[in-house]
Amino acid sequence: MEWMIIANEPGKTYLMQGNEAIARGALEAGIRFAAAYPGSPSSEILAMLGHVAEKADIYAEWSTNETCALEACLGASFAKVRSLCIMKQNGVLTVGDALHSASLSGVRGGLVLVVADDPSAHSSTNEFDSRHQARAAAVPMLEPVNMQEAKDMVKWGYELSEQLQQLVMVRTVTRINHGRSSVTLGELPQEKPSPAVIGEWDRMVAINWFKDAQIAKLAQAQEIFEDSPFNWYKGPEDPDMIIVTCGTGWLYSSEAVESLGLKDTVGILKIGTTWPLPEKFIVKHLVKTKKVLVVEEVDPFLEQNIANIIAYHPELNIELSGRQGQKAIPRNGELNPDIVLNALTNLTGKTFARPETVVIPQEEAVALPPRELTFCAGCPHRASFFLLKQTLRIHEGQGVVMGDIGCYTMGGQRAGHFLYGFLCCMGGGINAAEGLGNLSRFGFDQPVVALAGDSTFFHSCLPGLVNAKYHDSNMLFVILDNSATAMTGFQPHPGIGLTAMGKAAEPVSIQKVVEAIGCQVTVADPFDIDGTTNTVYNLIKQPGLKVLILKQECATLAVRKREKPRVWVDQDLCRGDDCGCGRFCSRVWGCPGNIWDYEAGKAKIDEVVCVGCGVCATLCPAGAIKMEGGKADE
Amino acid sequence: MSRELVKDPLNIIICGVGGQGNILATELLASALVEKGYYATVGETYGASQRGGSVMSHVRISASTEYGVLIPLGQADIIVSFEPTDTLRVARDYANKSTLILTDSRPNYPLGVLIGEASYPSMDAIVAELEKLSGQVQVIEATNLAVEAGNSQAANILLMGALTALPSVPIDVADYNKVLEQRFSGKALELNLKVFKIGYEQIKQ
Amino acid sequence: MPGGMELKNEVLASSTCALCGACLDWCPYIANIEDHLVLRFDCNVPDGRCYAVCPRTFADWQAISKKYLPDAPENIEIGPYFKAYKVKAPIGIEGQQDGGTVSHLVKTLMEDQLAETVLLTGSDDHITPEPFLSSEISEIKKAAGSRFLASPGMRKLIEAQARNVKKFAVVGRPCQIQALRKLDYNRKPDTPAMDVISIGLFCMWSLGWDFKNYLQREFPGEEILSIAIPQHGFEVTTDKGIHEVPFEEVKKFIRKGCDYCLDMTSELADISVGAFEAEKGWNTVLIRSKKGQELFDKSVSRGFLIFEEYPEAELERLKGASIGKKMRGLSAAQEAFDRGVKPFVDLNSEMYTNVKKLAEGKVE
Repeated sequence: MEWMIIANEPGKTYLMQGNEAIARGALEAGIRFAAAYPGSPSSEILAMLGHVAEKADIYAEWSTNETCALEACLGASFAKVRSLCIMKQNGVLTVGDALHSASLSGVRGGLVLVVADDPSAHSSTNEFDSRHQARAAAVPMLEPVNMQEAKDMVKWGYELSEQLQQLVMVRTVTRINHGRSSVTLGELPQEKPSPAVIGEWDRMVAINWFKDAQIAKLAQAQEIFEDSPFNWYKGPEDPDMIIVTCGTGWLYSSEAVESLGLKDTVGILKIGTTWPLPEKFIVKHLVKTKKVLVVEEVDPFLEQNIANIIAYHPELNIELSGRQGQKAIPRNGELNPDIVLNALTNLTGKTFARPETVVIPQEEAVALPPRELTFCAGCPHRASFFLLKQTLRIHEGQGVVMGDIGCYTMGGQRAGHFLYGFLCCMGGGINAAEGLGNLSRFGFDQPVVALAGDSTFFHSCLPGLVNAKYHDSNMLFVILDNSATAMTGFQPHPGIGLTAMGKAAEPVSIQKVVEAIGCQVTVADPFDIDGTTNTVYNLIKQPGLKVLILKQECATLAVRKREKPRVWVDQDLCRGDDCGCGRFCSRVWGCPGNIWDYEAGKAKIDEVVCVGCGVCATLCPAGAIKMEGGKADE
Repeated sequence: MSRELVKDPLNIIICGVGGQGNILATELLASALVEKGYYATVGETYGASQRGGSVMSHVRISASTEYGVLIPLGQADIIVSFEPTDTLRVARDYANKSTLILTDSRPNYPLGVLIGEASYPSMDAIVAELEKLSGQVQVIEATNLAVEAGNSQAANILLMGALTALPSVPIDVADYNKVLEQRFSGKALELNLKVFKIGYEQIKQ
Repeated sequence: MPGGMELKNEVLASSTCALCGACLDWCPYIANIEDHLVLRFDCNVPDGRCYAVCPRTFADWQAISKKYLPDAPENIEIGPYFKAYKVKAPIGIEGQQDGGTVSHLVKTLMEDQLAETVLLTGSDDHITPEPFLSSEISEIKKAAGSRFLASPGMRKLIEAQARNVKKFAVVGRPCQIQALRKLDYNRKPDTPAMDVISIGLFCMWSLGWDFKNYLQREFPGEEILSIAIPQHGFEVTTDKGIHEVPFEEVKKFIRKGCDYCLDMTSELADISVGAFEAEKGWNTVLIRSKKGQELFDKSVSRGFLIFEEYPEAELERLKGASIGKKMRGLSAAQEAFDRGVKPFVDLNSEMYTNVKKLAEGKVE
């Protein structure tokens, strides 16, 4: 809740989402600048900072991509302004060059980079462990165990950053970002310093001359971490086993130790400063035991770095287990309390009395239909994939489609008729298509289609489009312009005309940008299935680079703006079960609004779900689907 | 200070399909609990989709300490669900013979059912299996009642009313209403207070 | 009866499709642009109208012929017919080719109210075929002249059904008349009955739409005014002049689906009309049913058409050409069936055995 983020109530405890706590922590530290690119599970942080920007007297922007965001923060830091940069784990790979360079130049105003990892890739294409980037770039990293610590660590991160003159990373995971728990508020600064004058000889320059300084900063961070209140040991003085853990693992481990009655024999060493590790602190505790279980999210990062410490300390005689050692914890996927319980049971032999549960044999269990992800009712992407799929079939040239990252990534699944043959990363589709399209000189004659959403277009497709234009690749680039970064919660992007702070801005026209590059561009409405199918068909017949903008607003946004037209089925006209069209509307079109009336054996509209786009009415061969209340796009 | 809990931690799962409003309902519930001085943690599982995917929230309530955001398998004390097949899916993993289940009966058809590859089971079959898995099952026509009251989208708050009426849940109508008043105003508040009461009465009957 | 997936496997993916268009528009799974006709999404309807109506799925063609043309004497070479005539319209119609017979038969249909609505094929650019339903005599001239590109005109049947047309007439290629008969022969309960009279055209083949691109490449910027086949090649008249396109070039664009055709003279139509090869400005007319006879007689009595006895030598030549096409179609069909395409005719039936025997004596 926005009011909590800026509530001047030190000592008051509220239920806060992890992302709210992070935003609050940054405000308590007195940031004046925040920049981010949206990505689950991080997106709420900047969204909230944007909403409170005016009241909190800060600047917040949705940057065009993560590199823009990080380097914008570096700019603010140059003027000694405290800044917060936020991204998800894919983003921290995108910013690799900027991050490694910034670590050489160091910072002036405190700069905290919050990276939200997504173990099990709930809303990502991978579960990359961003701690590798912190280590590779020699950047100190903190890892909170709960929402309170997320707030406190972000706040303290600024002190550390300015003490070291180095940026500081805070790694969270989905369960912290999207989880909620009690957070006790601290004080908000009464006054915020103005930007400092940058003197003639002030420098923030990334060049290898500063490698020694970079190493020294890391060593200094390690010294500070040896006494950090974010690291602690809880347990007996001579434990049989120590669990070394960070992040979500702390609460799961505490609960497992409690449930299994192991409090007198198993200790927990909680590490909040995961890079560089406080070596002396760790050795001091590990020397008490012979068995160590490391509990952490995603990769055996902590585990391998502890193994590294053990290698240099002959006084440690330890059997190490975790995601790597003993295969005590699965090598990939998110932690949960049961994984930790099972690991501990396997290592100690202890069990506990679980509540009585019933397992129904499979043959007696009700068959449950799986709940696949699909596009929302009325989503223009459904229409886009429908018409692209049919156009490529009609063309009969075995068109190849290269996907990209956004809601429309689902187009590679059933929701989009399994349209993709290729999917890589943000901006990957157009680049791969450029390469494939240039194989035409060797006789490759299948149509090549690359897709990108409007937000992805600005994020990472511009260099690819210039490349494809300059080399006149034989391809069709389709921009699915739904006027939203829908997947992550409708953050505005440069094409929208609104900033993160809710201020109007002059939108950057995708069409004009594409035209300025010199591309032939066509704009079409994906809801006009027949007309746009013809348009796409004619485009893919032409040689060279073609650009098509499929423009139709995200249904979830559109329905908020207008009276919903009513769509219903005239069941007298519907051909129904017997000799009909195989339930084309619900079976092939697949909108959650098109359901089947099993009693009547006819089609039906779920009027609770339907947003009134009316496309199904144009597809029904019997004209049984009716629409009233004006056109969808008015 | 907060009352004694019948069980500590008390584990509640609130589940349904994206777009049904269970994240908001859960947030309001947990806020009311924190206002009362309990430790409450919430874990939310939602995928890439704004709508259409399964969404499950875990609420863990304790008088003494903070728990991790996820409930271990088989340890849900109460399951509140907005969608029957999702109720069963969640109950198979998290219910035990003492679990109390409140579920809406209105189906939300998944893609496999819409395209005719899978069929949607009958409510009787779902309830029969739920009864085997849990201690008690109560079906509440939350969406239909919410439609009657004025807006299908208010089914989430209606089910929260039913939940609050359960003796093991350590908040009362006034606590939840206070949070509703904090978040809503005007017609939306009026509707939410109304459906909350309707939900509450479903249990009292 | 099988459905869409079988149609896809046996016809569309096997390139035997004749592009008659009878499967289109009723069905949301089948889509068409230009001469591409595909199953755009996989269909699970087990009993498909598409399959039932398709001229390239199996049917007992002789039974169909007997049902709809019961009276005319059978003829193995050019199908059942009462009478062959040499015909022309004494007063021409703008844009007509040969004798203008079809245009005047259509005019008779309209004037004598033998049909409320007629399926015709016109073209705005003198090359792209555009099927349309007409009830207006003034529109007939839009359909005058031959179309060489294949057109899925039978899709308009759906529109006619939707308009609740009771008395309907079709001017179509042999494959389209086959589809028309098959639609009624395999009628489904939800297909409304229509009283249909059919004017079948003679057809050797039709061209793929790439021919249009070819002409645009060959004669860039020129507007096509007419296309004709006076003797050996194509004569393309544009705003810049007359171009000869050698038949060898044109042949490259003949649709694959036409290779399997066994019917040159629209053997299932009520009345068939083609060019009269021996003398420019005349048509050949074969009358196959009482309906066809009635239409012809009315047209003649109105003075729209004049006719002469059909020269015996020409009849022999026509039969020879028809048998030639049948033989090429049979061999293409045999070759297709050998590679696994499901047969749409019974090649071992008495009829085709007789065709082969006949061909040995008649075709050089």
